[in-house]
Amino acid sequence: MDQDSPHVRAVRGDVAPADDNLLLAVARGDRDAFSALYDRFAAIVHGVVRGVVRDPSQSDEVTQEVFVEVWRLAARFDTDKGSARTWMLTMAHRRAIDRVRSEQSSRDRTDRVGHRDRGRSFDEVSEQVEVSLEHEQVRTALSALTALQREAVELAYYQGYTYREVAEILDTPLGTIKTRMRDGLVRLRDAMGVTA
Amino acid sequence: MTSNDQDIHTLTGAYALNALPDDERAVFEQHLDDCDTCASEVAEFLATAAKLGGLLHEPAPAALKGSILDEVDRTRQERPSGSNVVELAPRRTAPPPWVTWLSASAAAVAAVAAIALGVQLSSLNDRLEQAEVTASQAIEQLDQVEGRTRQVEQVLAAPDIQTVSYQQDGVQSRLMLSHERGQAVFVASGLDPAPHEHTYELWVIGDDGAVPAGVFDVDDDATVTQVVEGDFATAAALGVTVEPAGGSPQPTTDPIMVMELSS
Repeated sequence: MDQDSPHVRAVRGDVAPADDNLLLAVARGDRDAFSALYDRFAAIVHGVVRGVVRDPSQSDEVTQEVFVEVWRLAARFDTDKGSARTWMLTMAHRRAIDRVRSEQSSRDRTDRVGHRDRGRSFDEVSEQVEVSLEHEQVRTALSALTALQREAVELAYYQGYTYREVAEILDTPLGTIKTRMRDGLVRLRDAMGVTA
Repeated sequence: MTSNDQDIHTLTGAYALNALPDDERAVFEQHLDDCDTCASEVAEFLATAAKLGGLLHEPAPAALKGSILDEVDRTRQERPSGSNVVELAPRRTAPPPWVTWLSASAAAVAAVAAIALGVQLSSLNDRLEQAEVTASQAIEQLDQVEGRTRQVEQVLAAPDIQTVSYQQDGVQSRLMLSHERGQAVFVASGLDPAPHEHTYELWVIGDDGAVPAGVFDVDDDATVTQVVEGDFATAAALGVTVEPAGGSPQPTTDPIMVMELSS
């Protein structure tokens, strides 16, 4: 990885350590730090959850679940292994996916595949978001993907499909989808200069 | 997993996007413990995915914060343990989600309770790998195996025998089942021995959730052959989990394998 690239530093930048410190304070039981962390991340966490879960009241529940878990498990956060932001958004996405999958128990699973309107498309989503340098960077990176890489990554991340479902939706072999998810992320990672 | 591991490394992307089904996710997380290359790639991919998430601003309802702070005030924090790993879904007393969705999607198929049977059937397994093997061929092969093969023969001789295959990360398995007899033969290869003081447990998953269908461990050559039996009225899938020695009445871990049974 380009550890020495100025680009990398720009991304890890000033913001991350502040967030990291807040989360470290939360780990010590600091309720004010938790409140501040909530204010900084509520919209992003809720956005990720809502994108996958869709249903507003369930999304609220999952967002609550995520933040309570942030509080409960903050001691597990380790700055050597990643940023506070990554830690929280990973948790948010995972919990959103867990909710969607357990919800599927009451529906015919095949019903879901083939109904691509369940989640919002990236373009719909992107209309709602504020313009910022970072967003621009993410969009630019996404637009540099091949069509298949982009579809595979977006269907999985923004809409919560498994790679098997993605393969079915895109009518593409499983092995190809796995590979496109991986090389798509490699390309995004490099374009955005992300380090863990 | 010990063999054919090349493939598992390609799952880093799907894992970081949370696109692995629960069973494969559990297997991959085991792999992550042992593979530094994948672990560091996953860390970078998670950070990348978090950037994608940053696009999704959506204000949370104003009332949510108060409700969260209330719950936080009632919630005890975990002591430091030094891991960034996001915990698996909380332990449940209700069946885990993979059980419930399989139960719900049940159409009509196999079910089982188990009769433990550890027959050496690697030769049968080899044959099965090559293609569709008829029941009579399988029986011919079985005739050479000494001991407890009779039940296997009987199942395979059923006129309505059907085969369900499963292959992932070096693990291959077949379930040859007969609705009519309410019996099936489960054959698997490529499994690691169960962890110390643990065992594999089979589950028949149907409308009533997961029903224990016997425990097993693998032979020296990493294979297992087991007859499972029961009422085939409602099963949707056969699952395998790792459980404490002796088995459990309900699954306590995510499955390492789920074979869906189509009607």
